[in-house]
Formats: sequence, structure tokens, C-alpha cells
Amino acid sequence: MLSYLVAIAIIGGIYSLLTLGLNLHYGFTGLINFGHVGFFALGAYASALLTLAGLPFAAGFAAAMLIAALVALPLGLLAIRLRDDYLAIVTLGFSEIIRIVITSEEWLTGGVQGLPGIPRPFGGLGVGGAEYAYLGLVVALNGLAFLLVHRLAASPFGRLIKAVRDNEVALVSLGKDPVGVKIRVFMIGAGLAGLAGALYAHYITYLSPEQVIPLVTFYVWMAMIIGGTGRNAGVVLGAGILVLILEGSRFVRDLFPGVLDTEMASIRLAIIGLCLVLFVLFRPRGLIGDGVER
Amino acid sequence: MNAALFFNLLLNGVIEGLIIGLAALALNLVFAVARFPNTATGDIMTVGAYAGIAVQGLGISSTVLQMLAAVVVCMALCVVLYRLVFRRLQGRSMLAVLLASIGLAFIIRAAVFLIAGPEQRVFQIPLQRAIDIGGVALQPSMLWLAVTAFGCMAVVFAVLFLTPIGRRMRAVADNRALARTSGIDVDRVMVALWLLTGAVCGVAGMVLGINTVVMPENGWNILLPAFAAAVLGGVGSPVGAIVAGLALGIVQELSTPFVGFTYKIALSFVALIVILAIRPRGLFGAAVKVR
Amino acid sequence: MTLLAIEQMVAGYGEIDIVTGIDIAVHEKEIVTVAGTNGAGKSTLAKAIMGLVPRCRGVLRFCGEDLLAMRPEDRIKVGVAYVPQVENVFPSLTIVENLQVVVGVQNHAARIAEMLDLFPALAARRRVRAEALSGGERQQLAFARALMTQPKMMLLDEPTAALSPNLVAQVFDTIRKLPAIGVAALVIEQRARQSLEISDRGYVLDSGKAVMSGAARDLLADARMADLYLGGA
Repeated sequence: MLSYLVAIAIIGGIYSLLTLGLNLHYGFTGLINFGHVGFFALGAYASALLTLAGLPFAAGFAAAMLIAALVALPLGLLAIRLRDDYLAIVTLGFSEIIRIVITSEEWLTGGVQGLPGIPRPFGGLGVGGAEYAYLGLVVALNGLAFLLVHRLAASPFGRLIKAVRDNEVALVSLGKDPVGVKIRVFMIGAGLAGLAGALYAHYITYLSPEQVIPLVTFYVWMAMIIGGTGRNAGVVLGAGILVLILEGSRFVRDLFPGVLDTEMASIRLAIIGLCLVLFVLFRPRGLIGDGVER
Repeated sequence: MNAALFFNLLLNGVIEGLIIGLAALALNLVFAVARFPNTATGDIMTVGAYAGIAVQGLGISSTVLQMLAAVVVCMALCVVLYRLVFRRLQGRSMLAVLLASIGLAFIIRAAVFLIAGPEQRVFQIPLQRAIDIGGVALQPSMLWLAVTAFGCMAVVFAVLFLTPIGRRMRAVADNRALARTSGIDVDRVMVALWLLTGAVCGVAGMVLGINTVVMPENGWNILLPAFAAAVLGGVGSPVGAIVAGLALGIVQELSTPFVGFTYKIALSFVALIVILAIRPRGLFGAAVKVR
Repeated sequence: MTLLAIEQMVAGYGEIDIVTGIDIAVHEKEIVTVAGTNGAGKSTLAKAIMGLVPRCRGVLRFCGEDLLAMRPEDRIKVGVAYVPQVENVFPSLTIVENLQVVVGVQNHAARIAEMLDLFPALAARRRVRAEALSGGERQQLAFARALMTQPKMMLLDEPTAALSPNLVAQVFDTIRKLPAIGVAALVIEQRARQSLEISDRGYVLDSGKAVMSGAARDLLADARMADLYLGGA
């Protein structure tokens, strides 16, 4: 039971990083990113492939963040010129392109067969110890990321970010460059998603295109909405509730033993869909918000 | 590539393009009048195809009756979605409505999975001899699909441009506040809009199902190319949706020998991204003025 | 007979009241000007009468019927027609379609023919989309669209804004003729002097309240009025 809780906490921590990145995109700059899973996938495969090739974990993690952030640069340059609705579609399309490339380039990614045997750190600590150590790593990286975002928000750069969100025109008249700010924020958020991807890859030790479908992006959107957009404390709450929903739906199986795998996936899909609709309708400012849209 | 292969691919491309075009038409109708990208469009199409399959399961082999069932079910579904969700979100941000539509898409797809199961279904279309024109195999069923798709588009245009309710829809699309102060009951116009959208989704779902197979993911898979077509054709423009859908379908099919089966799906996105990089407002500019 | 009766109306957006307690009356076949500087709440007043602001309370009656209890699309049916300041035609509809689309007209064909007689410039271009019209033609179409329902009163929100001087004169000339066809007008105008010259009465708004009111003639003669609201010439 305890090891199960540890596993849930690790997954929750990974979603919390993803949500933090998305929150940076939407909550702070208003950029609608419907392709978050694309950055997650880039980070996951980058780190997995590099460590499989014998590089150290640190190199894998660094590369995961770097590649995700670098890919975010051209996408961000395009994104800031687009209307909200186009941006949503383009980012969704971007993540689908990433998934298609992963599916097609079997020589590199294993295609639909997937990428097995991804190394897992802390092997020397035994099975239980490795789990705890990994949880420690996830928590520590989360802590660092939160610190980074917090420092960002409090810095002159962060005040710029808020100014970008609230009044772009005034900012331009002050001679500041909102485009540059938005791009940097977009890259940082993508880097966080890349890091989350690397953590996921080395924990699950197996990757396949099935794990990077657009649904994951909307898991993260849901976590952000539950927590309340633009609020960092809400990120943990949102990610926690998301994981409870995802994992909790496993218990449906205990109640109804006849339920098949595919049916479980559908039930989970329905629950997520229902949550999205209900939150948008009734609690648009999140669980701890006052129920009024800002 | 020899001529016969080229023309066969071209034919497939036209059918594929018509399906994308129909889906994009459904997207653009909603976008023009209700002003949000309805991501549930694809999954509503899926429901239509399964309605047709259900009628076939009753032993009714008439494709026309199956199509009719698909259209009626999709119309009803769309009105229910409007009444339960979209109407309550009027005046809210585009993102709120967009996220709600994604939630609805998930719920619909999950319901289809749970009720119909994950396995593929097919429409039993009586086999007819293909018409051979110099090596180009023209299936009569393909011809019928094309006729149906064009017929559906013609009906939509007739409703939009020749009927009072269509005129009101265009008025609401132009300026909702002015429409209301001109005495137009926006709620009734929206119901009509969703009925029309549902009809298009029903036909699109059936054409897609007959052309390939019926699976719960069918609609979601066509959604992204349809979005690409909608943006390329100018969001909100019905004509643009069809033209861009056809163009995308043909390009996708013709490129298959060069880029392979999986990458042909990515192609519409690459086209989308390239075109938006050059023209951030879409190929035909802003067909719809956004307030 | 009193058409429009507004008493102690408060209206606004979000948590802010723009209109903070206004009393206005418009009688049959009367032209009434509402003047005031930018931000005085003139446009909000017009939108509140048509039901287009989120919050509005007080008394708002037309021919004795409570407008506040009606949806915007129903208010037109009691005899009030509205020409907004901007975006007052449907750009993608043709001239004829702009007139056809109005709800609550007895005989569309006959009424459209009357409107095209009234505004001959439109008759020649009846199949042209409104987006292709000039500013003056557009304003004529907006008037024609509003007149379709044979309203008892026209509510005109800055009908001359963004028009060239000779068009301004034309628009005021059209408004001046409204009472003759049985239509009253509530004109919200920044060009207070010109508007008052064709009006029976007038109100002056400042910070969401009516600070002056009276016969148009008296307002035009008022020294304080001239200083604050009529500008120089």
C-alpha cells in the first residue's frame, strides 16, 4: 500500500511540473497551449534515448529541458502572432506532429512497439529505496521549479510578465518588448514540460506513442483549471486531484471485476470530460476560487 | 508515378477532401455564428456513423435510411449539447467554450466506446463492379459518396442564402447585438444552427464510415485535418472550408507515395503551420470579423 | 402621450455604474437630444434602453410597458427602434437582406419598397453587400433598417459621428423629418448645438446624471450650457 502511495506521489509530482509549465503559459501570459504533451514527449524521448546510448542521467535531464525549450522557440515566434483560436489549433497540431514522427521513425523511437528498458536511476538502493529516492528527486525538482517560477514572478521580469497579460499596449508604449517576454515564458514552460517528460520516462522505463496523445494535454489543462489559473499553489492541488481521479478510477475495477482494460480507459476519458465541462460551467476559477470568471 | 496511379490517388483524394470539407463546414458554421472552434465536431460525426450502423444492425440495408438515422441522431445530439452546455456559456471567454467542447468530445467518445465497443464496424455496401477508365478504377459507391457530399453542401448553402432562418443566421454571425435589437430571437437561431450543424455531421460521419470503417476514434482523427481546412479556408467561411478541405485531401493522397501513410496526416498540419507563418490570419483572411 | 419614460435609471458594467440616476421622457412625435461630453454615459444610456448592458435598474417604460422585463429582441416589438453608433448594419448581408432580416414587419416586400423610396440612394444598390457601402449610404441603410418596423420612436446613438460635414447636415435633415411620418426621436449627440437646433427638448448628461434639461431653445440660449457643452461656434 505504501509503495502504491509513493507511485501515486511520483506521478502526481510529474503532473505538477507539467501543470506548472502550462500555468506559466496560460496563467501568466494568456498563451493558449493545446500542445503541451508535445514538449513532454520531446523531453521523455530525448532523455530516454540519450541514457540508453550510455550518457549519464544528468545529461539526459538537461537535454530534455533544452530540446523542449528550443523547439518552443520557433513555435512561440509563430504563436504570438496568431489569434487565440488559431493558436490552440496550431499547438494541438504541433503535438500531433511530434506524435506522428515518434510513431513513424521506428529506427530511433521503436515506433508503435515502443522504447523498452529505459534506465532507472538509484538502482544501487534496492527496489524500495530506489522508489523513495526517485520520489525525493521529483519533489526536489518540483521545489526548484516552483522556486524558479516564484522568483520569476517576483522579479522585474515577472512584473513584465504580468504587465504583458494585463495591458500589452501600455507596455509597448513604455518601450518594453512584450514579444520577447512571451517567447521566453513560453520556452521556460516548455522546458518544465520536457523535464516532466524525462522524469516520466525514467520512472515508467517504457515509452510508446500511446503515452503522448493529446488527452494528456487536457489532463494538464484540467489540473490547472481545478487549481485555478495563474495560481502556483493551486498547481499542486490540481495535479493532486487529477492523479486521484486517474488512479481512483482503477478502483472501479475492484467494485466491478468484469470491467475490461479498454472500458477502464473509456471511463477515465468520460470522467475527465465531465470534469472539464462541469468546471468550466460552474467553477471556472478553480476549486478554491469564488466561482466567478475573472 | 504513372497516370493511372495518379488518377486513382486523385480520386481518393477528392473523396477524402470532401469528408474533410464536410467536417470543416460543420466547424465553420459553428464558428461563424457561435464563435468558438467546436472540438466535439468529430465525435458527433462518429455518433452519426454508429447510428447508421445501428440501423444496419436492425436489418435495414438501405443506405438512405441509415443516413437519415445518422442525420436525425446528430441533429438531436447537437441540440442537446447546445441546450445543456453551450447556451449556458454564451458571453464567456472563447477558451471556456473551447475547453467545454473538448470535455464533451471526450464524454461522447467514451460513451461510443462503452456502448459500441472498440472493434471496427463496416457498412455492408453491395459490391458493384468498378468502372474502369483507362486503368483508373472508379467505384460506383465513390461516385455516390461524392454526390451525397456535394448534395449536403448544396443544402447548407441553400439554407444559408435562400431561407429567412439562414439570413438570420448570417445576421447573428455578423453582429449578435444588432441582430437582437432587430428583433431576431438569437436562441432560436442557435437551435437552427445546431440542427444544421448536426445534419452536416451526420452526413459527414456516414460518408467517412462508408468510405473506410467505423471506429470510435474516426471523428477525432478527422478533426485535426478539418481544423486545418477551416483555418486555411478562413475560419467562419463555409465556401473556404470546402475548397481547403478538397485541397488538403488531394494533397494528402497524392503525397502518400512520397511520404508514406503515417506522414500524410502530418502534412495538413505542416501546410497549416507554414501558411499561418506567412499569413497569420489564414489563406482567405478574416472571413469573420471577431469583435 | 408619453412614449419613453425613464426614472432613476442606474446602469453599468461589472461593478461600475456608468449611468447613475437619470430621468428622461420622450413624447409622441417629439425630437429629444441627449448631449454630454465623452464618457458622460450617453452610449450606456442607449444600450441600457435596448437591454444591452448587464445591469440596469430603475424605471424604464415604453408606452406603459416595462422594458426591463423584456429581452432585447422583444423590445423592438413595442415600438422602439435602435441605430447604434458603429456597426449598425450587417456587413455581409446585401441592402435588401439587411431590411428583410428585421423581425416584426407586417408586409416585408411593401415596407422594403417604401424604404427604398425614402432612401433612393439605396434603391440603386439593393443587391450590394453592406460592407461595400460608403459611410453615408451605410447610415441611410441603418436608418432604413430601424424604420422597417414602423417604430413609434427611434433611438439614435451619435448618428453623425465619423461623417463628413455635408453628410452630417443630411442626417440631421432626415431626423428632422421623422415626426412628420409619426416617429419620435431620441438623439444622443456630441454635436449638441446642431442636434438641439432640430429638437424640441434636450437633456445634458454629466458623469451619468442629467445635469440640465429643458426646451431646446432655452438650452441653446443658456450661457452655462454654451460654455460647457456646446463648444464655441
